Amino acid sequence: MPHITNVMICTCTNCISNGALDIRDSLDAQIKRQGLQDDVLVVPTGASGLCVNGPILIVQPEGIFYQKLKGKDIPNLVEEHFLKGRPVKSLMYVPPGEESPIPELRSIPFFKDQRLIALRNRGLIDPDKIDEYIARDGYKALAKAVTSMTQEEVIKEISDSGLRGRGGAGFPTGRKWDSRRKDPRTPKYVVCNADEGDPGAFMDRSIVEADPHSVIEGMAIGAYAVGASSGYMYLRMEYPLAVKRIQLAIEQAREYGLLGKDIFGSGFDFDLQVFKGAGAFVCGETTALVASIEGKIPEPRQRPPRTTLWDKPVVINNVETWANVPVILNWGAKWFAEIGTEKSKGTKVFSLAGNINNAGLVEVPMGITLRDIVYNIGGGIPKGKEFKAVQTGGPSGGFLPASLLDLSVDYEQLDEAGSMMGSGGMVVMDENVCMVEMARYFVAFTNDESCGKCTSCREGSLALLEILSRMCNGEGKPGDIELLEELGEAIRDASQCGLGQSLPNPVLSSLEHFRDEYKAHIDEKRCPAGLCKALITFNISEEKCIGCRLCAKKCPQEAISGEAKELHTIDQDKCIKCGVCLDACKSEAVLVA
Amino acid sequence: MIQTTDKKVGAVLVVGGGVGGMQASLDLAEGGYKVYLVEKGPSIGGVMAQLDKTFPTNDCAMCTLAPRMVDCGGHMNIEKMTYSEIESIEGSAGNFKVRVRKKARYVDPEKCTGCGECVESCLVRNIVYIDQPGRAPVQIEEDVRVKVDDILNRYSGGREIIVPILHDINEEFRWLPPEVLCRIAEVTEIPIEHILRIASFYNAFSLKPKGKHVIRVCTGTACYVKGAQRILDTFSRELEVEVGDVTDNGQFSLETVNCVGCCGQSPVITVDDDIYGYVNQTMVTGVLGKYT
Repeated sequence: MPHITNVMICTCTNCISNGALDIRDSLDAQIKRQGLQDDVLVVPTGASGLCVNGPILIVQPEGIFYQKLKGKDIPNLVEEHFLKGRPVKSLMYVPPGEESPIPELRSIPFFKDQRLIALRNRGLIDPDKIDEYIARDGYKALAKAVTSMTQEEVIKEISDSGLRGRGGAGFPTGRKWDSRRKDPRTPKYVVCNADEGDPGAFMDRSIVEADPHSVIEGMAIGAYAVGASSGYMYLRMEYPLAVKRIQLAIEQAREYGLLGKDIFGSGFDFDLQVFKGAGAFVCGETTALVASIEGKIPEPRQRPPRTTLWDKPVVINNVETWANVPVILNWGAKWFAEIGTEKSKGTKVFSLAGNINNAGLVEVPMGITLRDIVYNIGGGIPKGKEFKAVQTGGPSGGFLPASLLDLSVDYEQLDEAGSMMGSGGMVVMDENVCMVEMARYFVAFTNDESCGKCTSCREGSLALLEILSRMCNGEGKPGDIELLEELGEAIRDASQCGLGQSLPNPVLSSLEHFRDEYKAHIDEKRCPAGLCKALITFNISEEKCIGCRLCAKKCPQEAISGEAKELHTIDQDKCIKCGVCLDACKSEAVLVA
Repeated sequence: MIQTTDKKVGAVLVVGGGVGGMQASLDLAEGGYKVYLVEKGPSIGGVMAQLDKTFPTNDCAMCTLAPRMVDCGGHMNIEKMTYSEIESIEGSAGNFKVRVRKKARYVDPEKCTGCGECVESCLVRNIVYIDQPGRAPVQIEEDVRVKVDDILNRYSGGREIIVPILHDINEEFRWLPPEVLCRIAEVTEIPIEHILRIASFYNAFSLKPKGKHVIRVCTGTACYVKGAQRILDTFSRELEVEVGDVTDNGQFSLETVNCVGCCGQSPVITVDDDIYGYVNQTMVTGVLGKYT
């Protein structure tokens, strides 16, 4: 007999880090204790999206959304909701600045404006069970492709849909497939690029964790269309849960005959294996990725000629691109092409993170404005602080300031604004983030991850880093800004791969939009955001300090003096500017200037 | 006659014109000695001239070598004897007599401009000679060897097996001990140089032993804007260890990681397989307490 109520508990990496597994066990135990095991079924699912409020639980079929759960909430929740049928208001979502909770998932603004294609099964199925994927039209598109469509028809459908690479560059997927199909060399390969190296991006991880079969199905369709019989899933080793889930999914698909020989009796063979990356950002670049699979040093190579794997044709697409493929075949190219803008079709998944209320995973139609994403879906900036910039495209992208909030999000517009779509990381920054320091951070990152092949990238990033570090230390010199610009352009022109060419983007775009901050660092030796250690001092506000001694107890230097219930002061000679007092203070009395 | 005085004067003969030989010659020549630099190959430069980069710093080999080659080439105090080999040595320290055989070059070095025309137009095919001396068997403890061989037995193929093998080794030993890498080279016949380059390229592999527990502070963008650097500093201060090192008692390694994809709960740290979200500096001591 089917269960009356399904409890979907999010078990993505985010929620697990906040104890989702303990909550699942506790739910099971409590449900049994109340004798409800025949009525209530607990289903572990992938990321539900609103990761910042995890662990998350959705009760179906009503769609009641519970968040920020703790182990101690569970007995009460089970008794009240599942036994007595009274949803628990205190565990529901409350929009920032309001008091009454919103019980239903579909009414929460964060979810309301999203359009789910790649994430169609999020929070609805157990990723470890292939049957649940199949029940949601899974593998239907593959069956349709291999039994009733020719290779050309599949490719035409994908071309007509206007699907473009979701990894960042936006190359038309249909055109890529067609060129590989026409290549006479065999065997051919398909590869899924899940080496999601951009810091601050977790779309690919979430898709693989929440719905691994959608990627497998997409790859199988792609393989059929180009005539490949084997494929690789290149996955980051930093995502152990995703590795585990995709491996299990592949085994299940093999068991059902959806991978292997003679799929659906059509004579089409395809099998897939997982290749675990080993922590190198540059491996996300396609030529470096294939070199990594081949066991060579993963340094990017010159293109053209086209990227090949063991000198054979290979189709490499991003996780999200593959996950879109089955939907397009099921619903038709026309339907897909109606979503989005003229040149950017469909939806895009973004991972919204940083200083934002509703950090998490969002999927929105192309062409939506940044303002909609940040304020309507993202719920704005926490603690009423000012929005400063949003960073897209990871270390290769740029900063978009408040004046560009009405920019439409598609490949062309973001490029024009000096940033890029990238794989979809979106990090929001508030007024307390220093742009010089942020530029320094990204350059330090690319300097560390540069493979070292091209001098312009290896040495150029180091030169940029030295100048920016000097500025943050209060040792900036007049002429530094011009030097940064000159260097940045030289690096862009002289590097071979995307990593090198786009490495100066964070510096150049922050210079374009936040030049004043650079000037403040150089001319006034001042950090307007209050972040650069050498340029700030910590003080305690006379009005706000309640004399609780919390900061004094935590200070590693014992630099804070003052009796209980009296004003505390910081001894500037002892202070190492570690910021412990800032974290410890409950009344926001520690001032940074 | 054998000279008995302690004071050694006169000329010095350096054997081998590799980077070491060149540096020795330059130092001596600068110190005022007349140097004879004997090299068996047709040019000085040695093995380093054939390398792209050098281990472990990945420095460009030619950038190190070229200035020394130029200096050696032009130094008034260094007499180069290339394409030459030593036949015999007599005497003792301070008074050697060396016989050097200068092989026939059939090219007048005074006139040659190094244009390479002769190589192109030679009808006899030039066969490249690569020196491959036999390697001694790897010294490795028996139980370690059994574990390594177990892992190696799971794989077959060309160079594409190396990353998966290193993953398994890393999982078993938690770092890549040198003798284990040598054993891999011995069994798979992949050159140790290539294995070392792969091992040093990827962040996942460590050529140094790790602490009992590995603390990784995520420095992805989302964590960074929410104060990951301060958390990292606090760990470093509390544990008295630099980032990338192991504490003196071997209990903790402190590292950074470029995003664990857990940006919803930033700032994030991981200790071994446990993930902690919403970390702030005041939580550091508590977290450390769980693992000591």
